[in-house]
Amino acid sequence: MNTRFGRSASPGRLAAIVVTLLLLLSPFLWLLQMSFKSNDQILQFPPPLVFTPTLQNYASLWHSAFSASFVNSLLSASFSTALALLLGVPAAYALSRRTGRGKHALGFAILATRMAPPIAFTIPFFLFYRWIGLLDTITGLVLVYTSFNLPLVIWMMQPFFDTVPISLEEAALVDGARTRTVFTKIVLPMVTPGIAATAILCFLYAWNDFFFALILTRTNARTAPVAVVNFMNYEGWEWGKIAAGGSLVMAPVLIFSLAVRRYLVSGLTAGAVKG
Amino acid sequence: MTEGGIDAERRSFIAFALTPSLIVLFAVAMLPALYLVVTSLTPFQLTTPGSSTDFTAPLRNYQLLPGDPRFVNSLLVQAKLSFWGVLFQVLLGMLLALLLNTQSRFVEFARTFFLVPMVLPPIVVAVIWKLIYTPDISPLYYAAQLLHFTMPALTSSVDFALTAIIIADTWEWLPFTFLMVLAALQTIPDEYSEAALVDGAGRFQIFWYVTLPFITPILVIAGMFRLIDSVKAFPLIFLLTGGGPGTVTEVTNYYAYLLAFDTNEIGYSSAVTVVMLLLVAGISLGLVWMGRRREAMA
Repeated sequence: MNTRFGRSASPGRLAAIVVTLLLLLSPFLWLLQMSFKSNDQILQFPPPLVFTPTLQNYASLWHSAFSASFVNSLLSASFSTALALLLGVPAAYALSRRTGRGKHALGFAILATRMAPPIAFTIPFFLFYRWIGLLDTITGLVLVYTSFNLPLVIWMMQPFFDTVPISLEEAALVDGARTRTVFTKIVLPMVTPGIAATAILCFLYAWNDFFFALILTRTNARTAPVAVVNFMNYEGWEWGKIAAGGSLVMAPVLIFSLAVRRYLVSGLTAGAVKG
Repeated sequence: MTEGGIDAERRSFIAFALTPSLIVLFAVAMLPALYLVVTSLTPFQLTTPGSSTDFTAPLRNYQLLPGDPRFVNSLLVQAKLSFWGVLFQVLLGMLLALLLNTQSRFVEFARTFFLVPMVLPPIVVAVIWKLIYTPDISPLYYAAQLLHFTMPALTSSVDFALTAIIIADTWEWLPFTFLMVLAALQTIPDEYSEAALVDGAGRFQIFWYVTLPFITPILVIAGMFRLIDSVKAFPLIFLLTGGGPGTVTEVTNYYAYLLAFDTNEIGYSSAVTVVMLLLVAGISLGLVWMGRRREAMA
């Protein structure tokens, strides 16, 4: 009797999976190979499948204004991640240790920030920033990204705190330790993997943003995703450079995603599935 | 320290840990929404001083909306984009999940790579499809040329521009429905399909009578989430078509963006956005309601 009906991997099914994967990833691979081609090779017909790869697209990007925008992206994503963790991790702990209404209010906030189209926040943020002079600054971007990552931090960290047995804390409390000490010395070290995974997801969300950066920055604080689009508008159709820019923007995302692939699922579907 | 002392100290720590986040969440979720509604009651234009506090005709913007052909058209475009996008994402995501619902170390490893389109920065997804849709450099057009078939221009054609966006959007978000359906499939106990197998059911019958009823709630929920998110499709439209040709791909989100940041009509744009927010909130409430009902049934 075949007890694993439909669940065993037959050779035919494996072949189908490989073909589907290649087909699905082909647009992505096309961008990648183009970034290693010279402009002549890109326009050649039929496209050469075997070619001598060149790093000239990446080199010329590095010596242009693109590198500054890359640094802007790094700065705004890193600082906003740090801030969101600083605020959100203690809050997640507090929520995990108390019962009652706070959780519903939080659920609503997560829903609101996740569901609402970014334009709904952009108009008020734009007017407010224009008024206090935060337009086109890294600080302005850090504030926006922090506020949108905060619900994610709380959402992601709460289950991690739930797994820390409360009896451990009680033992320390009875011995006379203060809650602050128990939190920093006992609880936090136990959830370090969770903090690492959450940090990476926050970084990715901030890094991936296009809409806020497009509207809230001009030149000084322009981030890498906006800079890639600017090539298209101002540097003509230098496809090799555009492809290389796109590849550079996605590189950190792919590396980090691989690093946290265990936690990726709950982070990507935050709010969509329980637990 | 006494029992009560510990409790009080603990409570104050928890309050101290929670307050800053609650303040930020309130400031971010509520204040902008209020400000948006207030602005939508004014004829605010950045170039007209005093227009931001002009409440003489508060409902003027909302009265203009039904007679604005571009607004009405944008709702229609959004409906088409959402309907076809969500339909394809749910169907293809389900097929993909069925294909990959198998126990093998290799397949478990390969699953991660199926998530690539969804984790890529949305603007990179737009760049990727820009390359695919640009005739001079696209593999699609090379292939068509080899087969002596004339491929029409996709993103600049009235007939195909929206389809081109739907294809790119489906590619980007297929992994989301795939992930959710796969998670649901893995909770189905093997005994069910085994029992059906003993009773002589075929593969398709097992899918139709055992698997499908089991995953239908997840299909609906995944579809609703994609429906809500489909309102946000911005980078693809921004980079591939710019809302054109004409207004063929101009969704409400994009129209609101153009109004506010291209033509300076901030007050009117806010009104458009408020209407959009209400629609999204309606769908979200439906989703919450369905989630509750599902919990009650389980």
